[in-house]
Amino acid sequence: MQPEKFYYDNKIVRNFGIATVVWGIIGMTVGLIIAIQLYHPAMNMGNQYTSFGRVRPLHTNAVIFAFVGNAIFMGVYYSLQRLLKARMFSDLLSNIHFWGWQLIIVSAVITLPLGLTTSHEYAELEWPIDIAITIIWVIFGINMFGTIFKRRERHLYVAIWFYIATFVTIAVLHIVNSIELPVTFWKSYMVFAGVQDALVQWWYGHNAVAFFLTTPYLGMMYYFLPKMANRPIYSYKLSILHFWALIFLYIWAGPHHLLYSTLPGWAQSLGVAFSIMLIAPSWGGMINGLLTLRGAWDKVRDDVVLKFMVVGLTAYGMATFEGPMLSLKQINAIAHFSDWIIAHVHTGALGWNGFLTFAILYWLIPRIYKTELFSKKLASFHFWIGTLGILFYVVPMYWAGFTQSLMLKEFTAEGMLKYPNFLETTLRIIPMHVVRSIGGSMYLLGVIVMAYNLTRTALQGKLVANEAAQAMPLEPVHTIARDSTWHRMLERKPIQFMMLALLVILVGSFVELMPTLTISSNIPTIASVKPYTPLELQGRDLYIREGCSNCHSQTVRPFRSETERYGEYSKAGEFVYDHPFLWGSKRTGPDLARIGGKYGNSWHYNHMMDPRLMSPGSIMPNYDWLLTQTLDTTTTVAKINAMRTLGVPYAPGYEKIANKDLDKQAQGIADNLAKDHIKVKNNKEVIAIIAYLQRLGTDIKANKTANNN
Amino acid sequence: MRYLRAILFLALAFLIQPASAANDPSLDDHSLLTADVQNYIGYGAIVFALVLFIVVMLVLLRTFKVLTRIILKYEGQTEEQIIAELKPAKKEKKPKGEVWNKLLSLRPLSEEKDLLIEHEYDGIQELDNPTPAWFMYLFYSTIVFAVAYLLIYHVFGVGQLQYAEYNTEVAQAAIAKKEFLSKAANRVDENTVKLVNDPAVLASGQAIFKQTCSPCHGEHAQGSVGPNLTDDYWLHGGKINDLFKTIKYGVAAKGMPTWEKQLSPKQISDVANYVKSLHGTNPPNPKEPQGTKETDDDGKQVKKELVSALVK
Repeated sequence: MQPEKFYYDNKIVRNFGIATVVWGIIGMTVGLIIAIQLYHPAMNMGNQYTSFGRVRPLHTNAVIFAFVGNAIFMGVYYSLQRLLKARMFSDLLSNIHFWGWQLIIVSAVITLPLGLTTSHEYAELEWPIDIAITIIWVIFGINMFGTIFKRRERHLYVAIWFYIATFVTIAVLHIVNSIELPVTFWKSYMVFAGVQDALVQWWYGHNAVAFFLTTPYLGMMYYFLPKMANRPIYSYKLSILHFWALIFLYIWAGPHHLLYSTLPGWAQSLGVAFSIMLIAPSWGGMINGLLTLRGAWDKVRDDVVLKFMVVGLTAYGMATFEGPMLSLKQINAIAHFSDWIIAHVHTGALGWNGFLTFAILYWLIPRIYKTELFSKKLASFHFWIGTLGILFYVVPMYWAGFTQSLMLKEFTAEGMLKYPNFLETTLRIIPMHVVRSIGGSMYLLGVIVMAYNLTRTALQGKLVANEAAQAMPLEPVHTIARDSTWHRMLERKPIQFMMLALLVILVGSFVELMPTLTISSNIPTIASVKPYTPLELQGRDLYIREGCSNCHSQTVRPFRSETERYGEYSKAGEFVYDHPFLWGSKRTGPDLARIGGKYGNSWHYNHMMDPRLMSPGSIMPNYDWLLTQTLDTTTTVAKINAMRTLGVPYAPGYEKIANKDLDKQAQGIADNLAKDHIKVKNNKEVIAIIAYLQRLGTDIKANKTANNN
Repeated sequence: MRYLRAILFLALAFLIQPASAANDPSLDDHSLLTADVQNYIGYGAIVFALVLFIVVMLVLLRTFKVLTRIILKYEGQTEEQIIAELKPAKKEKKPKGEVWNKLLSLRPLSEEKDLLIEHEYDGIQELDNPTPAWFMYLFYSTIVFAVAYLLIYHVFGVGQLQYAEYNTEVAQAAIAKKEFLSKAANRVDENTVKLVNDPAVLASGQAIFKQTCSPCHGEHAQGSVGPNLTDDYWLHGGKINDLFKTIKYGVAAKGMPTWEKQLSPKQISDVANYVKSLHGTNPPNPKEPQGTKETDDDGKQVKKELVSALVK
């Protein structure tokens, strides 16, 4: 047989590389801006499109799906071709994939500041974009499997196992978490409500971390690290063990995001147990990486690329140990809703994803441009300022999380909360937030230096768009020797491999999701809980539009410190009409689950206009546009109909009189405000959001104060 | 030697016995030393005995060595033979890092080429190393933990799930609170609250007012979102008891929050007294009167000079 000549497509790798750097800088800059907003609210530039609640999802989407996403495609397109000894299946699909993905990101950059959001964390994009993501993801899959089918290498290397698991799991996660009912072109309601919606969302959210931020990066580590260090992979057996254990166990761990919530106890405990079992399989990747460097540690001293890899792997090890620890209830009780979690995710994101991406860029760009890196000194500077930046970021955030959580839990000897005013704890951690933003700036500076360094590298070289290579074609299957093990045989059967991976991740998904979604006893109903009025429903959608749940939770955990502060702990039955759930994951401000009736309407009005009027020192931005913007009531009919389709018991034909009810309730609030000399028309958005806030948690509120009137 | 140890042991037993008996109050009078001092002497004796034990062992070892030397000489061995005999057996020195490698189940790098698996992907080779033993132990122990965790919480019912845990927490806090409040002079409520004009009380009340009340009632209680508190008109009663009650339970319909969770009874009393002291201060930009007119029938007139001094 003659060796076949073919060409690797480097241009698509280059394109994804450029996109990685550009979106990385944008995403991190947005992150820096919102970090500063947390101690300097004026940084929202006084307009609704750049306020924290709307822009925070932009930051998370940009760094996860734009920066890391493009980096994954860059790494996969480079390594896949070489590991399979074949050009990508179709240049057309590669290009559709590239431009389609960039278009999705651009649409996110436009829609999120406009407040078009589903409010599902890391899945905020509305339904038309969800469909686009599905299409592009399938195109990526076809392109990948097409390449696998025309490969010149019989067996699939471990990196490709991870790519396959990533592809199939993200597809499942994205589709299930995006089951939503469109109301208008840019508005949809989640099909599941309350606890069920929360479980689906965190099954998704947790495994987006697992299968978007972890498995593809492990795959890339398995290709690039041995190439960079010129060392063999430490243990093939360990690769097999930790790959299957990781994907099987990871999918179960989602409920640890909902500890002490109204999720059934058995589901919470499964989340804890499986999180603990994840330690070893997660570490398997780190160990296999670090031990691959055995005998090459002298190279680490001189080679900045390997330095990035080592710190990245170490950060991965730390984050994947911390994660299981955080899922223990005793630790979770302190860490959840606090800055501790922000520190935890940034150890992973900045250390693991960031540093691995930088290492790959520094290694790969000079190679596809057939030149040397422009400046090793600048790369070294990037490494050190990046490492320092991570430390300056995470240490103050751990500190802040601890401080605030412990303050919120402290009681005096008289049995009173020591810090009854939430704001007092917020103000205490402002210095830590200032230092955090300095750490973030350092990290961002490093990325900008890298962008310059890589640009100069590209300019001094010339892109080898089509890199020549040759390999022997595959000999017919019947002529090859028998595989030594069953796994070895599986490695040459990509479809079976994918089906097995799918099966493995579906086990945990079914066991956890199905009972909660189908067995009604898991969510005890409460008779006094009624559907929202049309005005409250519109107010709720404004709450979603403004991204209030980015800073305010809506679930009171069964802790004495929380029931004293907020009122009775939340019950599953209270959320049955919440499409989507709005529990939130971070308490930058206080919980709002029982805010209804706590303050007067005029308090809320003034607080929306300028929070500092009512709570001096507050870091909440002004929401003055709610005072002037008119509520869009043309959508009421569609919204009532959609909610009824989802099982909310509005009477038949109610949609026809819904707006009448809406006006009546709005007028009542406007009249009430007028008593306190606040003149506001009953059709303003602020009226709707006040109506919603005053409803929150009141359905089962004890009537103790009513007797006192 | 033996006698010495026997004496020491007896002394120790003697010292410890009264120390442990000190818990019995009837025996208190019979002991010359206080229980604390006896305890310290007891601890000192234990430490001393342990040190002594080590010293005795070292002395014994030395004695054996000397005896061996004498016996070997008696048997007619030469000086060199004796030295060789007495020298502690030297372990062969391990090459650096071997312990570490053993711990990690690592094979020496020199044996690496025997471990290479014949396949390669784009130049990447793999080694046939086993999964490290410690890694497997870690994995197994987390699995044991997970199984035990589920059994404890969901099969044996030993562990408390969140609502049981909450009930325990609240019950414990209630006991602690009752205990504390039964001691402290903090039991004031709307029935027992008294009007006072103690400057310390008013100063404390003023501080609380500034932080918690002024956003709604205005800096000088002139009223903004909430009503004017300096005029003669009251919505929910102007007596000190009424004020206490309104602050404590709030008036949900009017937007007055409940403060009993955030302010202690003493603090509510302080701030109610401070508000009473503001009566008739006529601050600028007052809100129009709300509620019914009430004369100050608490019987005591607050000293106006004191109030004006505080308001400044």
